Amino acid sequence: MPLPNLLRLVYRNILVNTDPGSLIILVGLPGMYLVFFGFGFQSVASAGGSGNSYLAYLTPGIMSFQVVMAGSVGGSMLWADRRWGMLSQLLTGPFTRLQYLFGIMLTSMLFGLGGSAIMLGVAYALLGAIPTQPLALGIIFATITLGSIFFGALMLYIAALVKSNTAYNSIQILLLFVVNFASTVFYPLSSGLPVVLKVLFQVNPLTYVANAVRGAYSGTLNITDLYEILLLGAEVAVVLFLATRAYMRSDVSYE
Amino acid sequence: MFDKPVRAPATNASDPVISAENLRHSYDRRHFALDGVSFTVRRGEVFGLLGRNGAGKSTLIKAMTTLIQLTSGKLRVLGMDPAHDGQRIRSRIGVVQQGESFDFTTVEKNFDVYGMLWGISKAESRRRRELLLAKFGLADIRKRRAFDISGGQKRRVQVAREFMHDMEVLFLDEPTVGLDVIMRRTLLDSVREEVRRGLTVVFTTHNLEEADYLCDRAAVIDEGRILILDSIENLKQQYGGKKTIDLTIGNGDPARFFNLLTERLGAVASVTARGRSAVILATDPKDALSKIAELSQSLGIQLEWLNVRQNTLEDVFLRSVGHGGETLAAP
Repeated sequence: MPLPNLLRLVYRNILVNTDPGSLIILVGLPGMYLVFFGFGFQSVASAGGSGNSYLAYLTPGIMSFQVVMAGSVGGSMLWADRRWGMLSQLLTGPFTRLQYLFGIMLTSMLFGLGGSAIMLGVAYALLGAIPTQPLALGIIFATITLGSIFFGALMLYIAALVKSNTAYNSIQILLLFVVNFASTVFYPLSSGLPVVLKVLFQVNPLTYVANAVRGAYSGTLNITDLYEILLLGAEVAVVLFLATRAYMRSDVSYE
Repeated sequence: MFDKPVRAPATNASDPVISAENLRHSYDRRHFALDGVSFTVRRGEVFGLLGRNGAGKSTLIKAMTTLIQLTSGKLRVLGMDPAHDGQRIRSRIGVVQQGESFDFTTVEKNFDVYGMLWGISKAESRRRRELLLAKFGLADIRKRRAFDISGGQKRRVQVAREFMHDMEVLFLDEPTVGLDVIMRRTLLDSVREEVRRGLTVVFTTHNLEEADYLCDRAAVIDEGRILILDSIENLKQQYGGKKTIDLTIGNGDPARFFNLLTERLGAVASVTARGRSAVILATDPKDALSKIAELSQSLGIQLEWLNVRQNTLEDVFLRSVGHGGETLAAP
């Protein structure tokens, strides 16, 4: 029995995006952050007096970082399909525009979850222990899912708005830098930060993802983390709406 | 292309597969890419859309394949309205776009992925892929990435891949660009074979020999309007009693010579001059030739080139879009 349209599109997205180059970017880069930063900054983190392993601190951050990587893959998929003519080809096939859009988002989500799971595996290899409680894993799963949808939708929104692949790539690189480093992925929100950076940290959805994943990972989840998950859910709804509207209005026809 | 009967028309067999009434479309709300286009396409025919670049052919294809919504007009594809039944229409048509469209993977995988997208079972997909790779001479490049192959090979992959799924109407937007003569003929024959099995084809091309070879009927479209629409035979028969004389003079004043020639030939022939050459469309070529000879002798003009030939679809096309001295009336 043939798969439903949406799953066929997801399967296709996975098939054509799982070449070695893409996988290295998707999983290899965060993995390298985990290894190099985890060990490299250990001495600095210890000097700070926390006494805890920086690698253990960084692991949930890098798991969260996967949602941004997966989101950027989603936007790139739309641009690649547009650039290589497959967007209009698919949309002259038995699919609706919405199925195509949600196909990419679902693929981003799977990449986010898959990448996080791999990071968890890397952490286990390096640390010898990872959380196994169903509740913690459930919260991590739900947060990564929400984060992947958020960043998938955000990148699709941008991809639908910009008029060239070069512009999209430039925006993506800038955004990835700001989103990653103005979040609690690599370091906690400290009181010594300039006000502007502090605000950036606090409004950055990746901070909410990283805080919740870290809370669940280390068993220190608090009410603020839960509020942040709810806020992330609301933001997902807004970005999803914007992305869908921008994409539905964009020209998909071939030249 | 494949053994089993695949097309069971859901609509009445006598109904037109496509009907268009007064279609208009503007991309910028000022200029109309389509400006009052009306036509029908019958089941099982090959319908050609001939026109220059920017004439409106691709816009028309985009409208029929549901990629754009028309500004106004009534369009029905397989009895359905593209504005409301897009997905149902698309599930019964095939489209070969003018531009490239590939997944960033090998030729073989492009076929497999496309088969999967259309819900073809793995075994059947493999069977079709092998048949198509062989038929279109693609077996040797099956492991190469689609973007690393030549332009002609890409075109073949794109056309062949479309036959991975079943369809009732196939839209071919300039499918033979970049193909060599043998592959062009293979493609056209494959389409003909499918037409014999009930496929309806809408075909745009610049190549009028192809249109002559493949199409049952053709419309010449220019500046968003259909200038002429008829069967290929009728189009050529409009000039049936006429022949074309190509003439180049070697000396003298060409403007004076061709003006005098126009006067002498009168209403039975039309002269279209360009520099020292002219194309003369004559109902009585023998009489026209004797008048050309008389005039050239009396003026001391040497005839450098003189050729009498049958009219072709190209003559019909050139004249209809105003490059042959007169414009044909719309039907």
